[in-house]
Amino acid sequence: MTSLIAIGAAIAALTGIGAGIGIGIATSKAVEAIARQPEAEGKISKALLLGCALAEATAIYGFVIGLLIIIVLG
Amino acid sequence: MSIKGGSETGNLSSTLMEELENKTVFTIPVFGGIPVAESVVVTWVIMAVLVVLSLILVRNLSVENPSRKQLLLETGISFLQNFFQDILGEEGKRYIPYLMTTVIYIGIANIAGVFGFTPPTKDLNVTIGLAVMSIVLIEYAGFHKRGAKGFLKSFMEPVPIMLPINILEIAIRPTSLCMRLFGNVLGSFVVMKLLEFICPAVLPIPFSLYFDVFDGFIQAYVFVFLTSLFIKEAIE
Repeated sequence: MTSLIAIGAAIAALTGIGAGIGIGIATSKAVEAIARQPEAEGKISKALLLGCALAEATAIYGFVIGLLIIIVLG
Repeated sequence: MSIKGGSETGNLSSTLMEELENKTVFTIPVFGGIPVAESVVVTWVIMAVLVVLSLILVRNLSVENPSRKQLLLETGISFLQNFFQDILGEEGKRYIPYLMTTVIYIGIANIAGVFGFTPPTKDLNVTIGLAVMSIVLIEYAGFHKRGAKGFLKSFMEPVPIMLPINILEIAIRPTSLCMRLFGNVLGSFVVMKLLEFICPAVLPIPFSLYFDVFDGFIQAYVFVFLTSLFIKEAIE
C-alpha cells in the first residue's frame, strides 16, 4: 500500500515535465526576441516572467496534489 | 504516516511532517477557545515591522534637500506606482494602494524564512484569504465601472455562450492564485528543510538565496501582476 501511494505521488510529480518544456521554449524565444530587438528587453522580460509563472503553475498543482496524496492517504 | 525503510528515512519524513503542520501558538479563551495559528502571529510581526518602518521612513521629509533615505524611498514607491499605473491606466488608479500593500506584505512574508520565521504564506488559509480579497476587488472594480446592469452583462461577453465559463472564472481565478502562491512557498520550504537535514552548515545558503529571496519576490510580483491584469480586464 505504501509503495502504491509513493507511485501515485510520483505520477503527480510528472506534471513537472510540461512546465519544464514550456518554460524552456518560452525562454529560448525570449532570448531570440531580445537578440533581435535589444531595446524591447523590458517588455519582453515582463511577458516572459508572466508566461513562466503561468506555465509553472501546472507543475505546482502537481506538487500540491502529490503532497495531498501523501498526507491524506499515507 | 508509516514509511518502511531505514531509520534515517523514517526520521526525515516525521521531521518533515512536523514542519508541514500549521502550529497553533496560543488559544484565546473566549467562545470556547479561538486557536491562533503561527501564521497569524508572524503576520502581526510583519504588520508591526511595516507600521514602524513607515513611521520612521516618512519622518523629516523635505522638498528642498531630500536625504538619501528619502530618495531611496521615493525611488521604490514611484517604481511600484509606475508599474501598476502602466497596467491599470488612469481609471484603475484607485486600486494602486491596495496592490502596493499586498506586494509589500507578500514579499516580506515570503522572505520571512530568511529571518528564522515560518513564512505565513506557507499556510493555505493565508493565501486563500489573499486570493478571496483579490477576487472581491476584481469583481468590485467591474461593478464600480459598469454598474449593476453592465456588470451582469459582462458575463455574456464576448458571446452569450461563454456565460458558464465566465461564471466558472470567478472560482478558478482565486483558486489558481492561492494555489500558485501556496505551492511555491511550500515547495521551497520543503526543499530548504531537506537541504538543512542533509547538510545543516554551508550548503543551504546559496539555495536559500534562490528559493527564499528570488522565488519569494517573483511570486509576490506574479500575484499582484495577475490581480492587476484581472482588474484591468474588469474595468476595460
